[in-house]
Amino acid sequence: MLRAQPLLLTLAWRNLWRHRGRTAAILFALALGIWSMVALAALSRGSLEGQLQKAIGNLTGHIQIHARGYRDDPAIDHRMPAPDAALATALTDPSVRVWAGRVRVPAVIASERESAGVTLVGIEPQREQGLSFIGTAVTDGRYLESPGDTGLLLGRKLAERLETALGRRVVVMSQDVKNQVGDRGFRVVGIFDAEPEAIETAFVFVGRATAQEMLGMGDTLSEISLRSDDRNRLEVPLSTLRTVAPSLDIEPWTVVEPLLTLTEKIVNVILVIWYAIVFAAMSFGLVNTLLMAVFERTREFGLFQALGMPPRHILGQVLVESLILLAIALVIGNLGALATVHALRDGLDLSAFAEGMEYFGVSPIIYPALSVGDVTMANTLVAVLGLVASLYPAWRAARHVPIEAITRV
Amino acid sequence: MGVWKTSIVATALLLIAKSAGAAEASAAQIIKSAIDYWRDVSSYSVVDMTIHRPDWERTMTIRVWTRGSKESLVRVTAPPKDAGNATLLLDNDMWSFTPKINRVIKIPSSMMNQSWMGSDFSNNDLAKADDLIEQYDHKLLRTESHEGRKVYVIESVPKEAAPVVWGKEVVKVREDWIMLEHEFYDQENRLLKKLVTSDIKPMGGKLIAARERMQRVDKPGEWTDVVTHEIKFGVTIGPNTFTLSNLRNPRE
Repeated sequence: MLRAQPLLLTLAWRNLWRHRGRTAAILFALALGIWSMVALAALSRGSLEGQLQKAIGNLTGHIQIHARGYRDDPAIDHRMPAPDAALATALTDPSVRVWAGRVRVPAVIASERESAGVTLVGIEPQREQGLSFIGTAVTDGRYLESPGDTGLLLGRKLAERLETALGRRVVVMSQDVKNQVGDRGFRVVGIFDAEPEAIETAFVFVGRATAQEMLGMGDTLSEISLRSDDRNRLEVPLSTLRTVAPSLDIEPWTVVEPLLTLTEKIVNVILVIWYAIVFAAMSFGLVNTLLMAVFERTREFGLFQALGMPPRHILGQVLVESLILLAIALVIGNLGALATVHALRDGLDLSAFAEGMEYFGVSPIIYPALSVGDVTMANTLVAVLGLVASLYPAWRAARHVPIEAITRV
Repeated sequence: MGVWKTSIVATALLLIAKSAGAAEASAAQIIKSAIDYWRDVSSYSVVDMTIHRPDWERTMTIRVWTRGSKESLVRVTAPPKDAGNATLLLDNDMWSFTPKINRVIKIPSSMMNQSWMGSDFSNNDLAKADDLIEQYDHKLLRTESHEGRKVYVIESVPKEAAPVVWGKEVVKVREDWIMLEHEFYDQENRLLKKLVTSDIKPMGGKLIAARERMQRVDKPGEWTDVVTHEIKFGVTIGPNTFTLSNLRNPRE
């Protein structure tokens, strides 16, 4: 068969040009299938990546350190001491890019007219830069200047709901360490915008020292959040931290936000299902086209065989034809998908029809992200399974008895 | 009804200690005197609280014990439906007892802005009584006259860190320390709600305003009236009155 390859290639190639319309149609169908697989994968990955980054930016970070019990009941009782020498040293390790301690407790915020339940977050303003969204989220007024800042950052949506505004005073009430009402007036010094909008109503930010004073916490904290270089390689920093602070609850984002890991799994499953559907449709089209071509050429194959061509070459001929079709379609489909991803590099804005998406933390603007794994999988799947599907028409072609095939009318 | 007045008094007290100017000192002094006058060393009173709404109205009879500016106990005695409901205030903390569920509940911070027993008073109006002395800067705006007596009009602005949502409060105090009006403004100087007293007559050995009405400006058809029927000042109050166990199991 090796020697016969140029001949088979020629025959297969010429056969494709015999019915240009038909070839073009099946090429289009195959290319569309490939395109949809790769483009959809890129969009899903992009959406997932956006969701992950947003969630990590929305105060999650890569690793969180709490007192035991805080994650079940984020109350002031579950607070932890400020990092001791050993923990502080571990936090300066190069694997930790940024870290910050926070006060994070449930509270009530009240204006003259309305009140709302929120999470009060006491932050170290400088340290939150690059760690969480709040460092860059203030769009009106100013950001907090120091941990002792007496101002408050309010989400735009919450400001509307409380009927208050930049420069006004609000009152924050919570429970202090002695289980009594800890409250204080704060002036709204900054309004922040965030995505999803629920963040704007869920959190208010004040200086960490101010919050500690208001709640009588001394220098204790509710949580420490940190970012490493790679969110998927946290084993080393995790084990270091757990060694120096065995009494604390130290968990990666995958544990703190299990929904995110679940979302990633769901996306993978959806992609596989999509691949299966698209591939099933594609392969039926491909097999059908090849079968048609084979039936048309019954007499021709009979003649080949009568002239001495072994059946495996006829099999090879059809397979090569299928391979050429698949190769061209893969090239067109992948190029099309690349072009689509490139065209959407500034984001695909679905906000017009996606109001509900925000509730699930899905950003309405999707930045497609091509992953090598997804592209390889789609291409391999189509090429290998496409060839396997073509075996049937090829086998039909090679099975003819020459005399019957030639004499067939 | 010392409970409500206490807030005003308390705020005034603090200011006196650290007032900067003479005018401020005197304004704060007036507020403090008014609250002290109303609150006395201790008091026991019986009042009717009427909650009025456009389509309904109901009246509760309430007994109130106070001692100093930090301790108050309020107990509903009628109608039978509400009888036994009680509220204990110790400084800024507040507990309520409901006989129907036989439970003492500490009012959490999240509920401090909510209405007290469905009235136009909020839990904060009761519990933050002391704040008017401690948390505000006072200024004498002008003087008026009322039934031939001088009335001080005092503007009280909450300090920056004060846990007070109002932009300012304006209090009118007559020269015999009877408080006539207490207005609450938002931070754009719009009047939001107003406490007005009337029916000044001698009771319990001194002149007091027997009727006070709390009303929100944006809801003209809704108000809460508190009418004092009986009041005694300087009474001796048992040592266990202001305790959680007495809140649950009344012994007087």
